[in-house]
Amino acid sequence: MVRSAHLTQAEACGYIEGPPALIVMDNSANLTIILFLLLIFPLAGAVINALVGRFLPRRAVEALACAAILASLAMAGLALAKAGEGTFILKFFDWIVAGDFSSSFSVCYDPLAGVMALMVTFVSGLIHLYSVAFMREDEDYRRYFVYLNLFVFAMLVITLADSLIFVYLGWEGVGFCSYALIGFWYRDPANATAGRKAFILTRIGDAAFGVALALFFLFFQNFSITYINGHISSLNITMATILALLLLWAAAGKSAQLPLSVWLPDAMAGPTPVSALIHAATMVTAGVYLLMRLFPLVQMSPLAMMVIAGVGAVTALYAGFSACTQTDIKRVLAYSTISQVGYMILAVGAGDIVGGMFHLLSHAFFKALLFMAAGCVIQALAEEHNIFKMGNLHRLLPGVSYLFLAGSLCLSAFPLLGGYFSKDRILLATFLHYDPIYWAFWSIAVVGALLTPFYSFRLYFLVFNPRPDGPRREDLKPFPRFMTWVLWPLMLLALGDGVLNLPGSYGKNFLGNFLAPVPGARPSLNAPPWLEWDMRFGTAGLVVVVIILTYFVYRRPPSGWAWLNELLSSGFYLDRLYLKLIAGPYQVMARFLWREVDERGLDRGLYEGSAAGLHTLSGLAGLWTTGRLSTYLKMLFLGLTALFAALAISWYW
Amino acid sequence: MLVPFGHLLILAGVLFVMGAACAVARRNLIMILIGVEVMLNAAGIALVGASLRWLQLDGQAFFIFILAVAASEVAVGLALIVYCQRRTGTLDADRYDLMKG
Repeated sequence: MVRSAHLTQAEACGYIEGPPALIVMDNSANLTIILFLLLIFPLAGAVINALVGRFLPRRAVEALACAAILASLAMAGLALAKAGEGTFILKFFDWIVAGDFSSSFSVCYDPLAGVMALMVTFVSGLIHLYSVAFMREDEDYRRYFVYLNLFVFAMLVITLADSLIFVYLGWEGVGFCSYALIGFWYRDPANATAGRKAFILTRIGDAAFGVALALFFLFFQNFSITYINGHISSLNITMATILALLLLWAAAGKSAQLPLSVWLPDAMAGPTPVSALIHAATMVTAGVYLLMRLFPLVQMSPLAMMVIAGVGAVTALYAGFSACTQTDIKRVLAYSTISQVGYMILAVGAGDIVGGMFHLLSHAFFKALLFMAAGCVIQALAEEHNIFKMGNLHRLLPGVSYLFLAGSLCLSAFPLLGGYFSKDRILLATFLHYDPIYWAFWSIAVVGALLTPFYSFRLYFLVFNPRPDGPRREDLKPFPRFMTWVLWPLMLLALGDGVLNLPGSYGKNFLGNFLAPVPGARPSLNAPPWLEWDMRFGTAGLVVVVIILTYFVYRRPPSGWAWLNELLSSGFYLDRLYLKLIAGPYQVMARFLWREVDERGLDRGLYEGSAAGLHTLSGLAGLWTTGRLSTYLKMLFLGLTALFAALAISWYW
Repeated sequence: MLVPFGHLLILAGVLFVMGAACAVARRNLIMILIGVEVMLNAAGIALVGASLRWLQLDGQAFFIFILAVAASEVAVGLALIVYCQRRTGTLDADRYDLMKG
């Protein structure tokens, strides 16, 4: 059961690239079993609930779904404790073997995957618990928990899988579950449309992943991530660039980066815990994570790195601007997610996957926190999403307010909190390229970083600050206190996860050192101290200033600048652009093919025309059958006479 | 052979054409059946004549078969005609035109 197929393959080729000491052969089956259970628990939860859930009481279904994820979390913790900093390639069993082509259910467990798996199961576990309270009035809870469990399974597959085909399975799995959960309340056509939009747009990205898979097989005859990362030197720069750009396109679809970003704001149609799970903590990070997993390949091509950094920086800025004028509480958070994922992509483009992973972790904590706190607000205000109709909530819901404040501070990268260290590290890594183009990306990213405190505190002040025409105590609907309790662990982690990777000068670069065995990771950036401190103090000061300014701007809701408002809140008309440029002509073409070619040309022209012709012909042939016996006999004799005459003539000729 | 073979063939031909004319021209089903019988016998004359002409008994044996077949055919045919008469009340062949195109 336990094998290290790729190592032996590499040995058979006579050479091993990359540091071979990092590939550890695991002789104990324990880790395999732990990882297998880690993957199988959520799947089992989904399957059991789907098959026999209807016979179980509601509490049992909920308990089963939560227990599956919590057991998975326990396994993730156990695996991390057991594996430490080692890299393990473990094969469960073969999947497809045909000639040269083979793909197996195999996992590559390295520190990156370990940390990611722990984060995914932890955040998903809390979200499951929160969902039990959040969905308390929904009758479709069974479908909800089945999809939620299935989603976690697919995400864990992406996280752990070694074979890219296996990754693709998870990749499509999260796409499907995302579609099913965004359109969860499918009776409202708008929700169903949002689900379809998410599915189609991520599909455009998936197509690139499919092409990349074919190219991987062409170049490597192998789908294993570790094998590919170990053999990239057989690739020339052009091929590496093509592959990296295809992967970027795939990642842009999944991670909602430009130009495929438009699905994420609409994905807020789903239940709020789904937004927290899919569109903040896990699925949108899948694209970034894929780039990190294949980082040695991506790193080969400077051009691709630059494009990746550019996409990340521009998306961060674009989504930051768009978030500034949204009126729907969840759409603000959605645009901020796009923006923050942009920073992670920028980190990959800047060659610092440790920084990217660090930001991914902090973002997962504070964004899940923000979304679920927003869920409490929405339920307390009877499904009100418009932040301009909120206010006064600090007085009315102090518990939620502190949680939201903590999340907003982390999102804004407030000094010494979680998001501060991670975002700073990304900015620093970008700056350290000493290249005008990267400096341009750096300045774009800094502007984006200054927009972040603005939009997050605009949101906070509008929702929680006192306002005379805001909701009053008697307008509030009660919601279970449990919904705020599950957020406390998230808040503590969000506030404190900076200690995971304090700057090197403290000598505590913990996460960086832990991730050091990951191919391509740089534990420390080795920046000149003056630059590092300048940048740290600079951004810290600016963030505080922006927060104070925001307070004064949003003491009362401002008005004016309608065109700018309109431009930003529609996300720079990107949706309308796509509708006009792509969906419009496509619809015209589809209508033409339907009406003119299919209905008029094929149906009426070809099929009905030929049918009518045959009908006429058969009518003519029908004239011969008069029904008179004597006619038939006459014909028979005539025919026989002719036949015999012909025979006689040919005989005597 | 007392009678020349050519005469035999002429007789058989004349009988055959008369039988065919009867089958084609008459409308009564029984008359059509009689016409068919005449045609069969015309063919029989030709067979017997040919058997004498070439001194081979195959033709005569064949005619005995034809007699047996004709007898059973007439039995079945008459039974059918009786059935048709009962069913439709007519023996006019032109009234049986259900298969008209």
